[in-house]
Amino acid sequence: MSGLQGREAIALVARREVTQKLREKSFLISMGVTVTIIVLVAVVPALLGAGGPTTFTLGTTDATSAQIAANAKRAPGFDVELDVRSMSPAEAKQAIDDGSVDAVLSGEALRAKEEPDDQLVGIVQAAAREVRQAQALRRAGVRGAELQAALNPPALKVTTVEPVDPERDRKGAFAFVAVLVLYTQLLTYGYLLASGVVEEKSSRVVEVLLSTIRPKDLLAGKIIGLGLLGFGQLVVMTGVGLLAATLSGALDVTGEVVGAAALALGWFVLGYAFYSGLFACAGALVPRQEELQASMTPLTMLILISFFVSFIVLDDPDGTLAHVTSFIPFSAPITMPPRIALGEAPAYEIVIAFVVTLAGALALIPLAGRIYSGAVLRTGSAIKVRDAWRATKTGAESRA
Amino acid sequence: MLEVADLARRYGDVVALDGLSFTVEPGQLFGFVGPNGAGKTTTMRIILGVLEPDAGEVRWRGQPVDLATRARFGYMPEERGLYPKMRVRDQLPYFASLHGLSAADAGAAAEKWLERLGIADRAADRVETLSLGNQQRVQLGVALVHEPELLVLDEPFSGLDPVGVDVLSGVLRGLADEGVPVLFSSHQLELVERLCESVAIVKDGQLVAAGRVDELRSRGARAPTVRVAVRDAGEEWIAGVPGAEVVDRGPDGVLLALRDGAGPEAVLDAARGAGTVTHFALERPTLSELFRQAVAA
Repeated sequence: MSGLQGREAIALVARREVTQKLREKSFLISMGVTVTIIVLVAVVPALLGAGGPTTFTLGTTDATSAQIAANAKRAPGFDVELDVRSMSPAEAKQAIDDGSVDAVLSGEALRAKEEPDDQLVGIVQAAAREVRQAQALRRAGVRGAELQAALNPPALKVTTVEPVDPERDRKGAFAFVAVLVLYTQLLTYGYLLASGVVEEKSSRVVEVLLSTIRPKDLLAGKIIGLGLLGFGQLVVMTGVGLLAATLSGALDVTGEVVGAAALALGWFVLGYAFYSGLFACAGALVPRQEELQASMTPLTMLILISFFVSFIVLDDPDGTLAHVTSFIPFSAPITMPPRIALGEAPAYEIVIAFVVTLAGALALIPLAGRIYSGAVLRTGSAIKVRDAWRATKTGAESRA
Repeated sequence: MLEVADLARRYGDVVALDGLSFTVEPGQLFGFVGPNGAGKTTTMRIILGVLEPDAGEVRWRGQPVDLATRARFGYMPEERGLYPKMRVRDQLPYFASLHGLSAADAGAAAEKWLERLGIADRAADRVETLSLGNQQRVQLGVALVHEPELLVLDEPFSGLDPVGVDVLSGVLRGLADEGVPVLFSSHQLELVERLCESVAIVKDGQLVAAGRVDELRSRGARAPTVRVAVRDAGEEWIAGVPGAEVVDRGPDGVLLALRDGAGPEAVLDAARGAGTVTHFALERPTLSELFRQAVAA
């Protein structure tokens, strides 16, 4: 019986983290809830017909309105279906009030209970203009082919310099889910790690642990254990989500999608590597769970800011903010994956962002280890980072 | 043999230990006493390697203590020192493994100690659901599960009822008899006096007194003391004994300090002259009295 090698100690600590969490009912329940939500997000829009055409109900009270409605129904180029119902003015009033129609067209007016949908207004306006123009042209004596030519000018041909991605909307949805999941996962596992550190500290288990293993091995074991758990959970979530989305037809799971998902998983690993040591320090600096929220605030703020920035990135994945935040270690794990998912990040940028974040993580880990070691045994009250830093320094000097 | 040599440790501007040294012999129950803040916990943490000393050294069997040596020590910190949400039967094997036992050995050792400490029936329970006494037994199990060569316990008796105190005393006595030195801190000085062969009294990070309890008590009195009770007599007779001085009064009579060469025989003679002597005993100071003297100095 002798001292454990570092690697054995790390493995023992990591295994305890995983097995204990997997035994916790609350963890299993939250996992179940998350997977259910992901399945719903993937399946429900398809079931509700989202992505397909929108259907509006339009009432008409006279012949001209009926003709306008008929034209609107034939209008090309919009993803809108029109259900036209002819009704008396009295019925129309009733239908507007009880909401059985979206709007009623009568004479010159389009009436609705609330402001009607822009798409509906747009196609009805266009159709009305068409019908009135036809009437005016006929009154002016224009007939036959001439009338048809005047009423149906050739449609403008749309061309773009860059190729249009027909999957853009679906990729956008995928990128959004990726951002949401990465954000949640980083926060959740950062918190789990920090509160685990506080648990050991407040119960003084840490003293027993540190009488047999080194602080850095304990810290490494905890980070690796929870990281593996978080990664495994993400793999399950991604697998289930992609499967559900495929089965429901919400997403074509192409090689590109799988690649983007795999890269998102990689970004979790990087983001976790960057943040985990800091979260462990946030835990080590406070004596009780009640004080943990406060000490984690700077970290949760960084993640939250990155999360908000990612919405701007989703909207403009090639914008300045998107480019800049891709190369900042604390934000890249959340703002880079959506760019990758949208196909807007060139390979070299992905590589640079990856390297920069990894370098940031590698630079932080020893600093975090030192603060953790200096703080984790100080019971009583909260500790300043500076004092924790110095505490280990004096220890290191005396050993030298 | 455990040697603590010239330990010094500061926390910022606060001096916790200032050149502390003492020795714990094999098979000894060693009491570590001192007022709050004297540096007891700091010393124990340094012995266990949880803290680094600023100066000084801890030696075990003549060698400086390293991580491999410490794997053979057992430690019980003050309060808890257990994972509250972990089940008892997971907890012991985990710590046994951390001390270097194989998975199979760790499981067997855990089972044995749960049985020996009388908590085998609570093995499936989470620690936080146990009573304080049972939690303390689990804690002791964690400290003992790897059959340590040295046991260090911080305030192991605090919060225990008299039965718990007896059980724990018995276990520690048994270990010491097997040759395992046991070092523990306590504020219950009567208990330390009854249980321990040796003590160290510390104050402000320095050793005030250390050694075998009986020697300290013999040496500790500044003057020999004798307690005398005489039926139906006041204290006037005491004036007839030059050098005798009343230092305490109690139900068993007055306590006299004998100075300037005054002997107990002279006291007894004077007392018999005054009336019927119902109590006469040479007294040595208790550990509590030594402690108060030492700490007040």
